[in-house]
Amino acid sequence: MNTPSALFSRRDALRSLSCGFGYLAFAALASRASAAAATSPLAPRAPQFPAKAKRVIFLCMRGAPSHVDTFDYKPKLKADSGAPGRAPGSKLLGSQWRFAQYGQSGRWVSELLPNVAKHSDELCMIHSMQTDLPAHPQAYLMLHTGNSQFVRPSLGAWTLYGLGTANENLPGFVTIAPTTINGGAQNYGSAFLPAIYQGTRIGTDTRPVAGARVRDIAPANPAEVQRREIDFMQALNREKLARDQVQPQVEGVIESFELAFRMQSEMPRVMDFSQETPDTLKAYGIAGSEPTNDMGRKCLLARRMIEAGVRFVEVTQADWDHHFNISKALPESCLSVDQPIAALLTDLKQRGLLQDTLVVWSGEFGRTPHAQGADGRDHNNKGFTAWMAGGGVKGGFTYGATDDYGYEAVENKMHIHDLHATMLHLLGLNHEKLTYRYAGRDFRLTDVKGVVAKDIIA
Amino acid sequence: MQPHRLVLILLVALVGVAGAQLPGEYKPRVSPEEAFKFFDTDGNGTLSEEEFSKVKDYSPYFRAHPEAIDPVFKKLDLKGDGQLTFEEYREVYNLGKRAQAANATPQPNPAPKPETAHVEPAKPPVPTASSPTSATPNADGLAFFEKKIRPVLTDKCYKCHSADSEKIKGGLVLDTRQGIRRGGDTAPAVVPGDVAGSLLAEALRYTNKDLQMPPEKSGGKLPDSVIADFEQWIKMGAPDPREATAAVAVSKPSWDMEKAKSHWAFKAPQAQKPPAVRDASWPRLDIDRFLLAALEAKDLKPVPDADRAVLLRRLYFDLTGLPPTPAQLDAFLADTSPNAVEKVVDELLASPRFGETWGRHWLDVARFAESSGRDVNATEPHAWRYRDYVIAALNADKPYDEFIREQIAGDLLPAKDDRERAQHLIATGFLAVGSINLTERNPRQFALDLADEQIDTVSQAVLGLTVACARCHDHKFDPIPQRDYYAMAGIFLSTDTRYGTAPLFENGHPGKEIPLPADAGVPVPSRKLSAEQRATLEGNLARAKAFYDRSFGVGTPPIGNDIKRRVVALGSSARIGQLQKELDSYDAEGNQKPMAVGVLDLPAERAASPVGPPRNYAEGLARFQARAVIFSAVGDSPLFVRGDAAKPANTVPRGFLTVLGATGPAQIPAGESGRRELADWLVARDNPLTARVFINRVWHWLFGRGLVESVNNFGTTGTTPTNTALLDYLARRFEDEGWSVKKLIREIVLSRSYQLSSVYDEKGFTADPENALVWRHSPRRLEAEAIRDGMLAVSGALQLEPPVGSAVALAGDGALGGRQIPSMRHPFSEELFVDAPGNFRSVYLPVVRNALPDALSAFDFAEPNTVGGNRDATNVPVQALYLLNSEFVTAQAQHFAERLLALPPQQRVAQAFQLAFSRPPTATEEAAARALFDGYPTRDEKAAWTSFCRALFGCAEFRILD
Repeated sequence: MNTPSALFSRRDALRSLSCGFGYLAFAALASRASAAAATSPLAPRAPQFPAKAKRVIFLCMRGAPSHVDTFDYKPKLKADSGAPGRAPGSKLLGSQWRFAQYGQSGRWVSELLPNVAKHSDELCMIHSMQTDLPAHPQAYLMLHTGNSQFVRPSLGAWTLYGLGTANENLPGFVTIAPTTINGGAQNYGSAFLPAIYQGTRIGTDTRPVAGARVRDIAPANPAEVQRREIDFMQALNREKLARDQVQPQVEGVIESFELAFRMQSEMPRVMDFSQETPDTLKAYGIAGSEPTNDMGRKCLLARRMIEAGVRFVEVTQADWDHHFNISKALPESCLSVDQPIAALLTDLKQRGLLQDTLVVWSGEFGRTPHAQGADGRDHNNKGFTAWMAGGGVKGGFTYGATDDYGYEAVENKMHIHDLHATMLHLLGLNHEKLTYRYAGRDFRLTDVKGVVAKDIIA
Repeated sequence: MQPHRLVLILLVALVGVAGAQLPGEYKPRVSPEEAFKFFDTDGNGTLSEEEFSKVKDYSPYFRAHPEAIDPVFKKLDLKGDGQLTFEEYREVYNLGKRAQAANATPQPNPAPKPETAHVEPAKPPVPTASSPTSATPNADGLAFFEKKIRPVLTDKCYKCHSADSEKIKGGLVLDTRQGIRRGGDTAPAVVPGDVAGSLLAEALRYTNKDLQMPPEKSGGKLPDSVIADFEQWIKMGAPDPREATAAVAVSKPSWDMEKAKSHWAFKAPQAQKPPAVRDASWPRLDIDRFLLAALEAKDLKPVPDADRAVLLRRLYFDLTGLPPTPAQLDAFLADTSPNAVEKVVDELLASPRFGETWGRHWLDVARFAESSGRDVNATEPHAWRYRDYVIAALNADKPYDEFIREQIAGDLLPAKDDRERAQHLIATGFLAVGSINLTERNPRQFALDLADEQIDTVSQAVLGLTVACARCHDHKFDPIPQRDYYAMAGIFLSTDTRYGTAPLFENGHPGKEIPLPADAGVPVPSRKLSAEQRATLEGNLARAKAFYDRSFGVGTPPIGNDIKRRVVALGSSARIGQLQKELDSYDAEGNQKPMAVGVLDLPAERAASPVGPPRNYAEGLARFQARAVIFSAVGDSPLFVRGDAAKPANTVPRGFLTVLGATGPAQIPAGESGRRELADWLVARDNPLTARVFINRVWHWLFGRGLVESVNNFGTTGTTPTNTALLDYLARRFEDEGWSVKKLIREIVLSRSYQLSSVYDEKGFTADPENALVWRHSPRRLEAEAIRDGMLAVSGALQLEPPVGSAVALAGDGALGGRQIPSMRHPFSEELFVDAPGNFRSVYLPVVRNALPDALSAFDFAEPNTVGGNRDATNVPVQALYLLNSEFVTAQAQHFAERLLALPPQQRVAQAFQLAFSRPPTATEEAAARALFDGYPTRDEKAAWTSFCRALFGCAEFRILD
C-alpha cells in the first residue's frame, strides 16, 4: 500500500468500487466519518522510504537569474572581461559586483545578496545545473514538468500524488503568484494525474500579491445551507460519474467542491498576517513602499502555508530576464528577494521547520558570461546555479562547477531531470517508482532519465 | 502626495533613471554623471554615437559645427566599439581648450522624450557591378589585384569566406566582387576608395578587438606590408575582375534549407482520396472514411452515435455557445425527418449567436484586448470595434482568405464605399491590439518590439510558425533565417500602428487612432459630452495652456535645468494633450466620433530630425509621439545583429519566408509597406500552412483537440498530425469551397465522427486514452463564456442585444498600471473591468490585460498576451468557490429560482433539469432534490430553490459537454 501507484490506479479503484474515489471523498465528508479519509486521494501517505524532507518551498525566479553575478563566483571572467566570448563577436563580461566569502563554508556570494549570503552554511549550492533549451517557455515547462514538448504533470502535482497532504482543509499544492505565460497553468497542472493534484493559484506574477486571495473565499451562505447545496450537487455528480464510468473531469469537480467547502474557513486564517508580530513583518521586509514588500509577503505566506500543512508551495518572482540594462535591473531584482528569502530561512529555522522543509531556489536557466549588447546577458542552458536548503541536504556544501567563465557545467552535471530525481529522493520518493499508468505505460516525472545526486544528501 | 516626491517620480519618468539613486537635492550645475545619464536615452550604460550626437542641441559649438561630432566621438571612443562608457565620455571634459570652449557640458532641458535617432548610421552605398569604380578597372589596377590581393584572399580567407566554405562565417564571402563589396552580416567589407569605411581593412589592422582577421588559428595578423597593399588597393578603387555572382551574404545556417523543406508542414497539401474502409456501411462523409481507416488500422471501432438530445446540446453549445431551450429540444426530438440535424445546423450557423461564439475563438488567436498591458496598461477605448468586426465577419461567412487579407492590409484594399472602407480599417485592429511596452524609452527599440509582436502574432496565428524566434539569430529548429525575419520586419516597420492610447504622463509612446469616415454607419457608444462637460474640459484646457504659456512660453526665462520646471513642463504638456484628445474625440453635438485602432502605411519620406528643444507644448507633444527617425517612413529594415537595436547591419529587402517558397524580395509598389503583398502571400494557394492551420483550429474547437495537437506550432518542434490525409483533404476542400468557414464547420459537424457518443469504451481508452483517433466524441469542459452565458440563458436573464462599445469604451482614456499620479490623470481601478456589469453575452465583457473579468478568468479564459487557440480546461477549487460564493452566480440562481417558482410545483424540478441539462431528472436525482428541500434549514421557499438552482450550476454536467 505504500506505493501510490498501487493505491491510485484509477481503473483499479473503479473495478473494485464501481465508482471513482471522488465518491469516496464525498461519502467520507457527507457522513462526517473521518475514518474513511484514509482512502482520500489527498490523505497523507508515508513516503516510499524514510526521508527528512516532508514538504517543499520552491522559490522560482522566472526569467533566469545571472549565475555569474549572484552565486557562481568567476574571478577569471572578471580578469578576462572584454576578451572574446564564445558567441561570435561577443565579449566576456565580468561581474561588476563584488563577491565576498561568507560563513564557515567560505562561500563566495555577490554583494547583491548580502542577506541570503548570511545563510551560506545552510545552503547547498548546485553550480552545475543544465537544461535542454535556452528558451523561456520550453525551459520553464521543463523545470516545472520535466518536459517541454508534451503536457505532463507538474513537480508539485507529482509530490502531492506521492505524499498526499497533511491538512485536508487546504489545497495540498499552492502556487503563489505563478506566471500566466511560459505555459501558464500547465506549470502547476496535473495533466493526466487526477485533477485534484493540480496547484491552487493565488494571484499572478504580474500583480502585487498583497491584494491577491483565493477568489470568492467568503461563503455566500451559512455552512448548513451550503452543505445541503453541495450534498445535492454531489449526488448528481455521483450519478454522472456512474453513467460515464471513467470521467476524470467529473472526479475533479467532485473533489473541487469538497476542498472549496473546507478551504473557506481555513484559507482566510492562513492568509491573515494580523497575528504576526511587527518584528516578523519587518524581518521579511513587508512594508507598503519597500521593494521587498511583495516578495516578503509571498515568503511569509509560504511559511504560513507550510506551517498549516500544505505539502508543496511554489513562490514565483519575475523579472530576471536581463538581456539589457543588467547593471540597473539585476540589483533591483536581487534587492526584492534577498531580505525576504533570508527571513524565510531564518524563520523556518527558528520554528524548527527548516530541518524537514526542503527549500529550493532556481530559475529556468542561467545567463551567458559574455555580454549581450553593452549591458546584458543572453540565455545559457549549459550551466547555471540552483540551491537547496533544509530538509536533508548538506548545508554549506557546494556541488558541481562550471568552467572558469561560467559557460558550461563541467563537474557533476545536474540536469533538470536530476534535480527532480534528487528532490523526490529527499522527500522519500523513488523517482523511478513514483509512476502513474496512463496511455498504456507507466509515466514518471523524470521520464527515462534522472540521477539522484547522493552527494548532497546529509 | 508630497511635492518633492512628485518631482522625483516625474524626474524618473523624464530622464529614465528609474531605480537609480536620484540626487537628494537639485544641483545647479549638471555633473558629468548626470549628463551622461541624460544622454544615455536607452539607459544601457553606454552612449552610442546617436545618443552622443544630441550634444548639438545643447552645445552652441556643436550646433555650429555638427561635422565635429563624429571625430570627437571617435576620439573619445578609445575602445573603438562604437559605444562610449562613462569613463570614455568623461574625457570630453579634458579634450583640450577647443572642446572645452565648445562647452560640451549639456544643459538638460524639458524636452519631453528627447528623440534619440537624430543621426542615421552611416551607410555607405553598396556599389553594384555597374558602378563606375568597378566597371572600368584599369589594367594596372587589375594587375595589382592579381599580384598582391587575390593570392592573400585565396590563401588566408577563402577557407571560411567563400561560397564553397563548409560554414560561411559571418555571412561574408570574399571570392566574388559582389560578395566583398556587399560584406557580411555587419557592413560592406570593402568600400572602393574609402579605407576607413572598409571593414576588411579594419579587420586586417587588428585594431578592433572584435574584428581581427585572419584569426590566430589561421596564422594571425598579416605582415604590415600586406596590409598596406590592401589599403592601397582600396584607395585605388578596389579594382576587381571577378565576375561571378555568388549567393552572397547568407550565413549557412545549422539546418539545411532544402532538407528542412521535407518537414510535412512545409510541403503543399496533396489531393487525397478517401481511403477504403472495412466497415463500408459506417461512414457518412469522407471525413468519416479517413478517421475510420485510421481506427481500423489500430483494430479499433467507433462507439455508437450520440443520443439525439445529447447531440442537440453539443451542436447548440459548439455553434452558438448556448444550451437549447426545452422548446427547441422538443421540436428537434419531434422532427423525424432524415435531414433534421442538417436543418438545425443550418439554423444555428445562420444565427447571430454563431459569430459571437466563433468570433471569440478568433479573438483568442488574435490575442485581443482593450488595453496595452505591461506596466502602464493604458486603455484603448476604440479597440472594441475590432471585436465587433470579427463577430460580424464570422456571421457573414466572410471567406477566410479575405478575412486575413483585411486584418493585415485592410487599409490598402479597395473599398466600394465608406461603409466598407471603415470595416477594412477596423479589421487592421488585428495588428494593433497586442500588448505594448509603453515605457520603453528608446524609440528604435520600441518600434522593433512593436514589429516583433506583430510578426509573432501573424506568424503563429496564420502560419502556425514561431518566426519571432529568428529575431536575434537564425531559428534554432525551423528553417527560418534571421534575414527572413528582417525581411518581414521591414514590412511592419513601414507600418504606422495606431493603438490609440492617450498621451499619459508615463506613456512614452501615445498612440493615435484612425478616424473613420463620418457616414460609414458605425455605431458609437452612448457616452456623450454634455455642454457642461465640454465647458469644463475647455476651461481646463484653456487654463492648462495659459499655465504653460505663462510658465514656459515666449518671454519666460528658459526652462534650463531646473528640475521642477522641467517636470512641470512635461506634466503640463501631457495634461494638455490628454484634454485635447478628449475634446477631439467628440463631434459638435457631443457624440463620440467614430474611430478605430489599426494600422496605416507610414509616409514615403522620413521625418526630419527635430532640432533644438521644442518651443511650445504642441511641438513637444508632436515630438512625444514621434517614431524613431530610422523607422519613420516606408522602407526596408536593416538586419540587427543579435537582435540588438544598436547594431544595424545590412539592409534586408522586404519579403517573406524562404521555406514557404519566397524567392528574393517581394514586389512592393514604391511608397507602400508591403502588407498587402504579405497578405496575398499568406493566403495564396501554394502556401502550405495557412489553410491547414485554420482547419486544425476549427477541428480543435469542435473536438477539444486538433489533428495537430500543437495548434500554434506546425514547425519541426510541433506535434505531427494524427491524420495527415484528413488534414490535407480538408485543406484542399476548404480552398476549393472558397475558404468558407461555415461550410467547413457544417461539413465537420455533419460527419458521423463528430456525432459519436462520448461513452467510455475500455478498448478505445486503453489504446488511445487521449482520443487522438476519434473513437468517441471526447467529453469537453465548456469554455468560460459558455458557462457564464449558459447560466444567464437558463436563469432567463440573458440579454441577447449586444451592447454598443464596451466597459473600456465607456471608461475612456486612462491606465491601470504604472505609477499612480492622481493629479495627472485618473487611474482606473481593476474592479471596473474585473467586475464589469451587464447580462449580455460574455464576448462583450471588457478584455483588459491583467484585469480580466472574474467570471471568465476563473474558467481558464484566453491569456491575451500571447496567441491563443488552445485554452486550459481545469476543474479546481477556485471554480467551486466562484460557483458557491460569487455575486454573479447567486444572482443567476435567484433568477432561475424565480423562473421555476412561477411554474406549478410538480413541474419545477423536471423543468429545471430540462433547462440546465436538456434532459429530465432520473428517479435518484428527484429523490436527491426532495432530500434537499425536505431538510432545508429555513422555511424560505425562494432560498431553498435558489440553493437548488445554484447546485445545478455547480454540477459537473452543467460545465462538461458530452
